[in-house]
Amino acid sequence: MSELSSALANLEEEKVARIIKQELGTGKDSMGVLTELRKGMDEVGQRYKKGEYFLSELIVSGEIFKDAMKVLEPTLKKDGGGPATKVVIGTVKGDIHNIGKDIVATLLKGVGFEVYDLGIDVPVKAFVDKVVETKATIVGMSGLLTPSFESMKETVDALKEAGLRNKVKVIIGGGVVTELVQRHTGADAFTDDAMEGVEIIKKWSAKSN
Amino acid sequence: MIKETMTPEQRVMAALRLERYDRVPVIPIIGQFATRQYKLSRKIKDLDTWQSIEAIRENFDSLGGYDGKIVAGLAWPISTWRTNAPKGKRVLPGEKGISEEFSVQYDEQTTMTVEDYDKIINKGWNAFCEEYFPRVTGLSLEEIERRNKELLDIYLKDAVYWKQRNIPIIAGALVVSCEMTLSLARTFPQFTMDLHRMPDKVQAALEAMVPDFIDNVLRDTKASGVPWVHISLERGSGAYYNLKTYERFFFPQLKKIVDAMVDNGIYCWLHMDTDWTLNLPYLRHLPAKKCICNTDSITDIFKAGEVLKGHMCVMGDVPPSLTKLGTKDEVVQYCEKLIDVLGKEGFILCSGCEVPIDARFENVRAMMDTARNYYPHR
Repeated sequence: MSELSSALANLEEEKVARIIKQELGTGKDSMGVLTELRKGMDEVGQRYKKGEYFLSELIVSGEIFKDAMKVLEPTLKKDGGGPATKVVIGTVKGDIHNIGKDIVATLLKGVGFEVYDLGIDVPVKAFVDKVVETKATIVGMSGLLTPSFESMKETVDALKEAGLRNKVKVIIGGGVVTELVQRHTGADAFTDDAMEGVEIIKKWSAKSN
Repeated sequence: MIKETMTPEQRVMAALRLERYDRVPVIPIIGQFATRQYKLSRKIKDLDTWQSIEAIRENFDSLGGYDGKIVAGLAWPISTWRTNAPKGKRVLPGEKGISEEFSVQYDEQTTMTVEDYDKIINKGWNAFCEEYFPRVTGLSLEEIERRNKELLDIYLKDAVYWKQRNIPIIAGALVVSCEMTLSLARTFPQFTMDLHRMPDKVQAALEAMVPDFIDNVLRDTKASGVPWVHISLERGSGAYYNLKTYERFFFPQLKKIVDAMVDNGIYCWLHMDTDWTLNLPYLRHLPAKKCICNTDSITDIFKAGEVLKGHMCVMGDVPPSLTKLGTKDEVVQYCEKLIDVLGKEGFILCSGCEVPIDARFENVRAMMDTARNYYPHR
């Protein structure tokens, strides 16, 4: 691992900022810097899997990554980059809880997905429209309250009606989401763990690419 | 139906003290489910608290009764405002385009600044609150006190009703743990970053909060006349933070509060949302047979039973997804499993956190019936 990847994996906020400044200053292309950061985020995921890191470390790494992206983003477009798997994500209609959804969105960006975050209280149609617009192949829906199960089901049904269901994989997440809820909504997977959600999405993406 | 030889209060106290009971007590956390059953709109609920209280009373009877009320009055009104930080903006069903089908939610927003940590450290929690609450709520201290007094009056009137029915109340005060209070005030991601960036300052603030939290709860339990405190825990669990963080920042404050309560004859109902499985061994350092470990279906409750055996009563944990989507038979099966494994002594059957607003009535009734009808350990 490079010094930058290690610094991110070790949650060294100031060191990450300093190395990025140095590397961009010496002419390193921003895509190369981003690749190093993603390796660092991958390592954070590995440490989480091993039980060395917890949700708080995912938050801290995500914040460091977000700050780094603010520096990199203006130059990234010029550099281009390969096609990434597109994910549409949001907290479903009626539910305004954003913490879990925000963590997953940040982690997905951190490992290279193109994420369309629709926010909270997202109408069914907004999910469908965004899938049509972006041709995303993965939809992630979050909700913390039991009435949100119905919003999740309505969204899956709407994807079916729009003829998109066989083109997208759907994952639902939230503290009270269980297998029973997955069956009820017709989703392909469920999770109550942000990193597990990212791992499931990574597997889906690897299979389709 | 099992022949009952104990009053609900005796049954609950036997569970707390890990003594034998005639059957497993059942105490659901019921609020919004009851008012929904009686089709009370949120508007009516806000305009007429007594209609909602009446709905809860009727719901109690339609469920065949249960062994304890989580609180008198509605939800948590008796807590003095100082033990419960404003957690962003309350969004009611029907507001901001949110359907009436949903329960109350909070739009978590930062209400406390980094500079406020210093104020807590220098002035203490209560003195800080005298500036903080008016700033965040837009209400004067006099108005906050007036509303609190109004809620306490409702609590006391409703408590008389439950006393007449011999149903114990198990929250005479509410305190949100120190770390959760700060996490709600700063937001969870921001509080996590504060812990990372300025750990000593956060630790000093947490320590500075404890004496006032203890005084507030003692005053509240005195005012309510109920020697129980509900301690709301969530944000400090192993689902969020590693054990090193828990040991340094969170558990010491919890222990100080619980020890002070027990020294003053107050029982502690530890309401533990999210996954506390990793933290369970710490609970053995709290006073024996004086606290309840109440989990919400995310913690491994069977592990809790193993770890806390002979030390602490366990309470839980019929999952909300089961009472909403499961069949009556599935609910009975799960409740029987809980009673089989955990129910011999030191167990209270409860919903996993609150009974969902949209749970099936027959499933909630099945939970109560199982407690009344199933006790293989006699």
